[in-house]
Amino acid sequence: MWECNFLCTSTGTKAGADELFVTWALSSAAQVDDSSYKTVELKLCFGVPSQIDRPWRKTNNVLSKDKTCGFNIGSPQPYNRAGNTINWLVRKEIPFAHYFVRAYVLDSAGEKVAYGQSSNAQRTSNLFRIEAISGRHASIDIAAAVFSAFSVISLLGFFFYEKTSTRGRKA
Amino acid sequence: MAKRSSNNLDTAVLRESRSPDVKFMKSPEAAGDQGMELPDQASGYAHRTSYSVASSENTVSIPNLQFKQFEQEQSELEDDSESEAPFSLPVDSENKAKKIKFFSAAKPHMRAFHLSWFSFFACFMSSFAAAPLLPVIRDNIDLTKQDIGNAGTASVAGSVLSRLIMGALCDIVGPRYACAFLVMLTAPAVFSMASVSTAAGFLVSRFCIGFSLATFVTCQYWMSSMFSAEIVGTVNGCTAGWANLGGGAALFIMPLIYHLFQHPLACDSFVAWRLAMFVPGMVQVASGLMVLYLGQDLPDGNFRELKEKGKQVKDSWSKVIFYAITNSKTWVFALAYGYSFGIELTIDNIISQYFYDRFSLPLHTSGVVASVFGLMNIISRPFGGFLSDWSAQRLGMRGRLWTLWISQTIGGLFCFLLGRLDQLGPVIVVMVFFSIFAEAAAGATFGIIPFISRRSLGVISGTIGAGGTFGAILTQLIFFTSPAYSTETGISLMGIMIVCCTVPIMGIYFPQWGGMLWPPSKSRNATEEKYYLSEWSKEEQEKGMHLASLKFAENTRGERGRRITPSTTNACAVTYA
Repeated sequence: MWECNFLCTSTGTKAGADELFVTWALSSAAQVDDSSYKTVELKLCFGVPSQIDRPWRKTNNVLSKDKTCGFNIGSPQPYNRAGNTINWLVRKEIPFAHYFVRAYVLDSAGEKVAYGQSSNAQRTSNLFRIEAISGRHASIDIAAAVFSAFSVISLLGFFFYEKTSTRGRKA
Repeated sequence: MAKRSSNNLDTAVLRESRSPDVKFMKSPEAAGDQGMELPDQASGYAHRTSYSVASSENTVSIPNLQFKQFEQEQSELEDDSESEAPFSLPVDSENKAKKIKFFSAAKPHMRAFHLSWFSFFACFMSSFAAAPLLPVIRDNIDLTKQDIGNAGTASVAGSVLSRLIMGALCDIVGPRYACAFLVMLTAPAVFSMASVSTAAGFLVSRFCIGFSLATFVTCQYWMSSMFSAEIVGTVNGCTAGWANLGGGAALFIMPLIYHLFQHPLACDSFVAWRLAMFVPGMVQVASGLMVLYLGQDLPDGNFRELKEKGKQVKDSWSKVIFYAITNSKTWVFALAYGYSFGIELTIDNIISQYFYDRFSLPLHTSGVVASVFGLMNIISRPFGGFLSDWSAQRLGMRGRLWTLWISQTIGGLFCFLLGRLDQLGPVIVVMVFFSIFAEAAAGATFGIIPFISRRSLGVISGTIGAGGTFGAILTQLIFFTSPAYSTETGISLMGIMIVCCTVPIMGIYFPQWGGMLWPPSKSRNATEEKYYLSEWSKEEQEKGMHLASLKFAENTRGERGRRITPSTTNACAVTYA
């Protein structure tokens, strides 16, 4: 088993602005043969509170069907016993949720042979929050208002124009 | 001699000015029928006669006499000077087209055809525009499965009410304005989707956009005003089918637009989907403007001008609604349509996410595959209407009922199978067959509806149309909102429900034509006339309000299939005399 630590602010990490500081190392308590360990992949995973009522993030023990860990933190790093750290800028497409970090160790064939995570095994404690961008901009809101106004005004304008012009013709 | 020559001269002058309009001179009564076209020519004619009057005195009386006749007609027709005389399609006595020319946009029939199906298509696209982008939207606004299910239900719920109202609105302001009002007033809801940031906002936005699906009613009403009874079935099937393509087109086009904003234009994903929503909104506004500018309510002109002439027969609203509600067939078909057309709407809402989540296809690929379901409408719905007509030629109404029941039940079985399979290839094949049968069933339903009632046809069509969207609400609420079942279980259960809700069709019985399981009644009272006149009371019949129904009843004799009995035709002739 491993240790995987992180650092975050109390108000939630802001996507696009803040960074995640992740450190990992082989646990001193582990008695394993790590000769086959070649690369380490760090992943951002959903905690249980963010999986409730969201079956598209469901955990499945069959790794190929598992949807818990959707995002990569940086690119795969070479494995070494003493561990490593990474400072990762949170990307803008990360949604709002409660997360933990998981590290998968791959052998030379790319198969997952070990892992560690920052939360407990049930993925319920030690989670951190990421605040996503809203995607809204003032310019989009203004454009929406302008187009809507155009639609309504042109309809009413046409209607009253036709009404007065037929009345004019009859008079 | 001199006199004769002057006579000849005058006659020659008269003939010259007469020749373009000989037909009017010969039959002034006929001229009255075609009264609309006369005014311009009559006034032109008057000018020409004045020359011949000046050159001779012998022939004064004749042109003056004819001129007077035209003058009388002209005073009735002052308002129609702007209507056009020749139509590019053959028309019947109401100026409704008897043929359809797909690649023409000639005024007024084909232009109305293309405007109405396109505006309905634009509304369908807007209503389902959010569905293929849900994988992005659900992350942006942090939606749960219930939120998505409720919003999907809301997207079709609004149209239940608006479809019921739209029939009345068409009667008041005409189909052109009814369509334009709906399209232009729901466009702001589409644009507002670009600004939502909560689940509640998303739901309200989809609900308001859903009102626009009532363009179904304006489309059918407009087509029924422009095309004659022989082809109105095909025309309605084509416009409804091609408009339903909008559901499939949305699933196909929206991810492409989203990717366009995301990559070449380098927008963040949570911004790109918002910008993508502007496209269906703008298409909707453009179609509304075209309808207003290029459209015309009726072949003879616009609604307001013609209504003032009192050409509409006044009927009492309460009676019309009473006969619609108390006819049990209305409710059986409303339920059945809810499980053919309603299922189509449900699938449009959930199938893109299904392919994305269960089969891990990328966003635009899920959209393309999912869109195949809706795009099958281009042939399957018109085909259903055609199959209904074809079976009616051989087996009459019984054939139509069997066609509907068979196609809808088989569709239900394919739906059941769709949820059970877990390999992509077979799932796509089953989905295609499911779409063909479900959409053909929707088309076949509208092959039967014109025969349910004559007096309350508008209200019944509106109710059954509303029943269609009600079925979509019900299935989404029951099967795709609760976390209790997975999507695939929901789909299979929905298939079973389709088969169950199609069973009541077996109970439909027309005394003169029979039902699925029973032949027509042998009693002498089992005639088309008796069936349609049962909607009119003795007093109303004395006022002659039932005459249109009587004429209609005679035209429906073909629903007996190959065994048409001549005796009842004679009885009908007696009634007319």
